[in-house]
Amino acid sequence: MHKILLVIQREYLTRIKKPSFWILTIVVPILMAAIYAIPIYLASRPLEKATVMVVDETGLFQQSFESSADVQYLAAGSLDYAKQQLQDSDSYNAIIYIPARETTIPTDAFLYYRSKTPSMTVQSDVERQLQTILRNNILLDVHNISADDYNLISNTKMKIHTLDIETGRDGYLTIKVVLGLILAFLIFMAIFSFGSQVMRGVMEEKTNRIVEVIVCSVRPFQLMMGKVVGIGLVGLTQFALWILLSGFVLLGINATNADLFQQAEQQHQGITELATKGADATAQMEEAQAMQVVPELLEGLVSINFPLIIGLFIFYFLLGYLLYASLFAAAGAITDNETDSQQFTLPLTIPLLLTFLLLPAMLNEPSGALSTWLSIIPFTSPVAMMFRIPFGVPGWQAGLSMLLLFLAFPLCIWIAAVIYRRGILLYGKKITWKDLFHWLGKKESRKN
Amino acid sequence: MSANESLFFQAHHINKTFGDFHALSDVSIDVRKNTVFGLLGPNGAGKSTLIRIINRITAPDSGELLIDGRPMIENDVYRIGYLPEERGLYKKMKVGEQALYLAQLKGLSRHDAEKRLHQWFEKFDIDSWWNRKVEELSKGMQQKVQFIVTVLHEPQLLIFDEPFSGFDPVNATLLKNEILALRDKGSTVIFSTHNMASVEEICDDIALINQSRVVLQGGVRPIRESYRKNLYEVECTPYRWPFQLPNNYQIVSLNEQPDRTVVKVQLPQEHCANNLLEQLIPQCQIIGLREILPSMNDIFIENVK
Repeated sequence: MHKILLVIQREYLTRIKKPSFWILTIVVPILMAAIYAIPIYLASRPLEKATVMVVDETGLFQQSFESSADVQYLAAGSLDYAKQQLQDSDSYNAIIYIPARETTIPTDAFLYYRSKTPSMTVQSDVERQLQTILRNNILLDVHNISADDYNLISNTKMKIHTLDIETGRDGYLTIKVVLGLILAFLIFMAIFSFGSQVMRGVMEEKTNRIVEVIVCSVRPFQLMMGKVVGIGLVGLTQFALWILLSGFVLLGINATNADLFQQAEQQHQGITELATKGADATAQMEEAQAMQVVPELLEGLVSINFPLIIGLFIFYFLLGYLLYASLFAAAGAITDNETDSQQFTLPLTIPLLLTFLLLPAMLNEPSGALSTWLSIIPFTSPVAMMFRIPFGVPGWQAGLSMLLLFLAFPLCIWIAAVIYRRGILLYGKKITWKDLFHWLGKKESRKN
Repeated sequence: MSANESLFFQAHHINKTFGDFHALSDVSIDVRKNTVFGLLGPNGAGKSTLIRIINRITAPDSGELLIDGRPMIENDVYRIGYLPEERGLYKKMKVGEQALYLAQLKGLSRHDAEKRLHQWFEKFDIDSWWNRKVEELSKGMQQKVQFIVTVLHEPQLLIFDEPFSGFDPVNATLLKNEILALRDKGSTVIFSTHNMASVEEICDDIALINQSRVVLQGGVRPIRESYRKNLYEVECTPYRWPFQLPNNYQIVSLNEQPDRTVVKVQLPQEHCANNLLEQLIPQCQIIGLREILPSMNDIFIENVK
């Protein structure tokens, strides 16, 4: 037992000491923070002010542009004059130029700018105003419909909240899709990259022949498991650091934007109330909506059960990793060089890769037959289940999936150990699939 | 061969097959305490398989290993130090760290390992490499580190597989002296080699394995004597020329120098040195006479061809 600890310690420490480990450890929380911070930034940033000169040759728009807090409109006499102004003065940001057309209805307008492209806010404001004015003119002049009537008609819109019948929670499909994909990608990458680290480690030991010295003092099984566990611990350390660092960063963001999160929470509560209590809660809902509208993304984030997801992620990572890493170790043990390893690693990566490639199909029906089966079969379940978790998974399916994975990993480790022990000391011989099955079928001959 | 109690290690009737290939067939060896035992044989004869079995890396299909007269158990690997022919180290690891790791795997405490390593590193004048990465070291330097790691836990049984390959003459001599010093301090050494000159120099006993079987075993001196060809080398100053020798005496070579002649004579089986002297004394003044024993190289070739 003491010796396997030594192996684990070596595998762990040599990797933890690498700069690449720390770079990755720091970069990921920064990325996480960025993903988290963007909707907040969008929701809370101070609005940009812009001044736009209006040169209207049609006479339809001039008077109707409405200045707002963001964009101020000023009428300008001629395009040449406005251009001069734009070039000479910093107080103007853009010119909207609507040339006169032969036809009655103008179809093109030009937005001039100097050095800096007008922001999306300005562009969309200009576009919206142009269209509204134009439409109001047509409605009023041609069809005799007032702007208010038109707004009433065009604003009738239903927002669908997908709800879980048991919890009455809002589904927040969009964010679930995003989260599901992120989780599936993360676990895929984690299993794959740590698994191939195991394989490279085994191949290193085999090709430089140090294994011959080591297996004199350590059983091949101890060496293999020591490597698998050591690298697995590196993975867990990385996750722990990521969660810790991300936690700090996110707490910081939450604290500095407390009011925004409170609103998000209220809005989320409001919708839940509306769904469970019906009309009684309408007032509360409207009250909540009357406040500044919080981005739906943020609202969704509040609704996610992060501890559950993290817990399941660690479970599926650990078992999925043990299952794959031991097989990767076996693959490393029976290959002499990198190119050779393809024939054994490819069949190993196919289940993971296939699940990953089937994600779009699963997306269509996160609880459908395909998703369900993939999330129960041990080789595909880590990726498939992590993808499904944000959408909610029936308890028996999750239980069955976890149980099967729990039963599958010792079997894989056993298979891997047999192949590893035989392969690690075999040099210069091309090993075929036939050999592998032969080894597995034969009774163990090693006594100790 | 001495009495049974001085045997440190024995292998009894070892068999090992890989599929249809017989790697070892009924191989038995006896290694005396405090001796250097040479394991000889051409490539592919089964030496490495036997060494792996002794190291408990592979298990024999049948047969028994005894250490100190009792069956070998797993913990006996701590009493063995093994330097394989194909040897490597972790390239990215620092020398000291790596040596510590390997020493701890052999059961030494970290503290002891560190103390002993520094002693050996100083002895080999490589203490300044402690914090260098292995990949920065030359091959010869790496071999020194490997040798130290092999002997560090003061094993009673040392196994060297082709220890001199890749060493320059200076380091090979250093290594040879260390091996002999370890033997004198009480270790028993098994060493496998193709280099027959080194066998004559340092081995007490040998076993020659060919095509999975032991074809020759025993002390180096007795074996060489048993292969004697009744060949003598005489150094003399002749009175009369040419020598008159009986027809069944065969002059193998003759080297004439101004002041002396060196002649090698093959005697018939029933004759001995005295007979040769009787023939020569009337004819020349004898300066020296010695029997030429076949070299291990000749014996090796004769046995494996």
